[in-house]
Amino acid sequence: MGGGQSRTVTAPAPTQSSPKFAEFGGGALKGRRGIDRRVTFWFIYLPPLFWLIAFLVMPVLLMAAFSFRPDMHGDLFQIWTPTLSQYASIAATGSYWRLLGISTLTALGIGCSAVLLAYPLAYFLAFRAGARAGLYLILLLIPFWTSYLLRIMAWKILLGTEGVINSFLIYIGLIQEPLTALLYNRTAVLLTLIYVWIPFAILPILAALQRIDLVLFEAASDLGARPFHQFMRITLPLSAPGILAAFFMVFIPTVGEYVTPLLVGGSRGFLYGNIIQDFFTKAANWPLGSALSMIMLAATLILVALATRLIDWRQLFQ
Amino acid sequence: MKSRPSMLFIARGFLLALVLLMPACGAIPATEVPPGEQTGNLTVLDWAGYDAEDFWVDFKNTYPNVTVNFEIGSSDADIYSKMKAGDQADIFHPYTGWLQFYVDEGLVQEIDTSKLSNWDKVPENFKKIGQINGKQYFIPWDWGFTSILYRTDKIPEGVDSWAALMDPKYKGHISMWDDGPGAVTISSYIHGYDETAVTADQLASIQDEWIKQRDLNLFYWAGEPELVEGMKSGDVWAAYAWQGAYATLLADGVPVAYANPKEGRNSWVGVYGIRKGSKNYDLALKFLDQKLGEATGNNVVNLFYYGDANQNVMKGITDETLKKAFSVDDPEILNKTNFTPNLTAEQRDAWTAMWAEVKAAP
Repeated sequence: MGGGQSRTVTAPAPTQSSPKFAEFGGGALKGRRGIDRRVTFWFIYLPPLFWLIAFLVMPVLLMAAFSFRPDMHGDLFQIWTPTLSQYASIAATGSYWRLLGISTLTALGIGCSAVLLAYPLAYFLAFRAGARAGLYLILLLIPFWTSYLLRIMAWKILLGTEGVINSFLIYIGLIQEPLTALLYNRTAVLLTLIYVWIPFAILPILAALQRIDLVLFEAASDLGARPFHQFMRITLPLSAPGILAAFFMVFIPTVGEYVTPLLVGGSRGFLYGNIIQDFFTKAANWPLGSALSMIMLAATLILVALATRLIDWRQLFQ
Repeated sequence: MKSRPSMLFIARGFLLALVLLMPACGAIPATEVPPGEQTGNLTVLDWAGYDAEDFWVDFKNTYPNVTVNFEIGSSDADIYSKMKAGDQADIFHPYTGWLQFYVDEGLVQEIDTSKLSNWDKVPENFKKIGQINGKQYFIPWDWGFTSILYRTDKIPEGVDSWAALMDPKYKGHISMWDDGPGAVTISSYIHGYDETAVTADQLASIQDEWIKQRDLNLFYWAGEPELVEGMKSGDVWAAYAWQGAYATLLADGVPVAYANPKEGRNSWVGVYGIRKGSKNYDLALKFLDQKLGEATGNNVVNLFYYGDANQNVMKGITDETLKKAFSVDDPEILNKTNFTPNLTAEQRDAWTAMWAEVKAAP
């Protein structure tokens, strides 16, 4: 993002606000500045740092350690001899790997669809909604006011054999028997998850679009660029970081998703996250569940690293 | 700076504390505190819903000054994991199939049944369920059947075998419980395997059987309300079900019946155990004794449609729907019923992994 902006004609925001910061910073207390800074640093960063270490890093490390445990016998925090037996049994189970592949592809599809559907909405909010943009944004966020579970249950009412869609189709005479293919399969999972993620995907795209300096469009028009050209050369490249952020915000949690498949997926709609969840909550087999989680974590990290490394996103839009 | 307190001051304080504490700890063994004056704290790790006062009303009324706190577990695996992770609950509530590990891992304390006034109201076969390695580690409390629940309008010919859950005739209208050990149990009934000694080959064929069943199965239900909803809407015609779902649907006027399969019904029992190392052992025993009280038992039967280990409660049932749900009028029903045996940790791991592979299968 920084690189993208440095090439633009103006960079208004930082130059406007920098004098203010200078006033605060360059006071008489020059000698104490270093200490102040350090105190401020720890004061501001210590709580979130502690939070992340205690509730993200530690659990992940614990899980990694558990994945090398042979079984659940004995005390939870006793010393155990590390073993690869969990990984070996996973390696021997082809269906787990296949399901990981399916889950990754599903997440990819859902990520792309959610971004594609969210982009026009974000574009509308940023450039066309005008004074009402705030209101529309609130409307967009209303679904977040109700519980996730409730919204998924609403989808069951929509898609069920006696649901809204089937009743309507029967009423207008298009079908005689209710369609059973709507609910309890992987398509239902796909549809539901895309719906769930669209509002989330809009926010980072909107933020990126709002950062675009409108002067650029004026300049482009003056130089004779048509709207489509302007979009391709200005809007899309400058919003690319937002698109990427939106995609990963959808993709990463979807790889491990398990609630939606449980509710609308039926017998054949399970994803990799369901298997992990089962080993923790139904089987009390933490070592195997941990090993499955570690594999998913590694797979996701590798994919994200590849995506950010291999593809030069800025080049893509030149 | 304050001066350090003198030795005399410390000694006096110590004496005072001793005098104050004496009645609190010394009096209990000598003369029993009247129940109404008994104070203290108990923590119970239980399932959602059982924290309602209805399900411990006898204790509440007898010991009004004891505070009972509840922690909620979402499944047997969850409760076991919590206890294993060092949960400090005094009392916990597992179900048959999940008892052996608590004893093996030293998480449960033997019950002194001589201190239970309601113990003689519990039938012998229920008492046995709480015995592991010849010792009474658990007291039985709630119980019920598992059988095939079906819609009589959709399956007018009726159901007489567990194999109905694998009948292609009902494709897309079957619902199995989301549980590996449950699946192994059913297959064992159908094929006559010894459920306590399923071999690796048998487990492999059971896995294949349930992978095939998956194409007939609409969804695996996780909670009873989900199943009830599916049967009510007509999507599900035949399902693995507890009698609670049967009673709920009967009360709603849905045409359903609860099969008496030729292989026999299954039955599960919920038990309470006291955590090894609990500082409130005596109070916990009192709680469990009152759990077997009749007012509590009646609530279990009438509100949850579950059976109660106190036989006086079961004999007192008058409601026709409930009589039907428990087959109270069939004196032979318990003899035709297969009680869920205890699993070893190895069986649990193998059976749950089998089920995960069923769900992950292509």
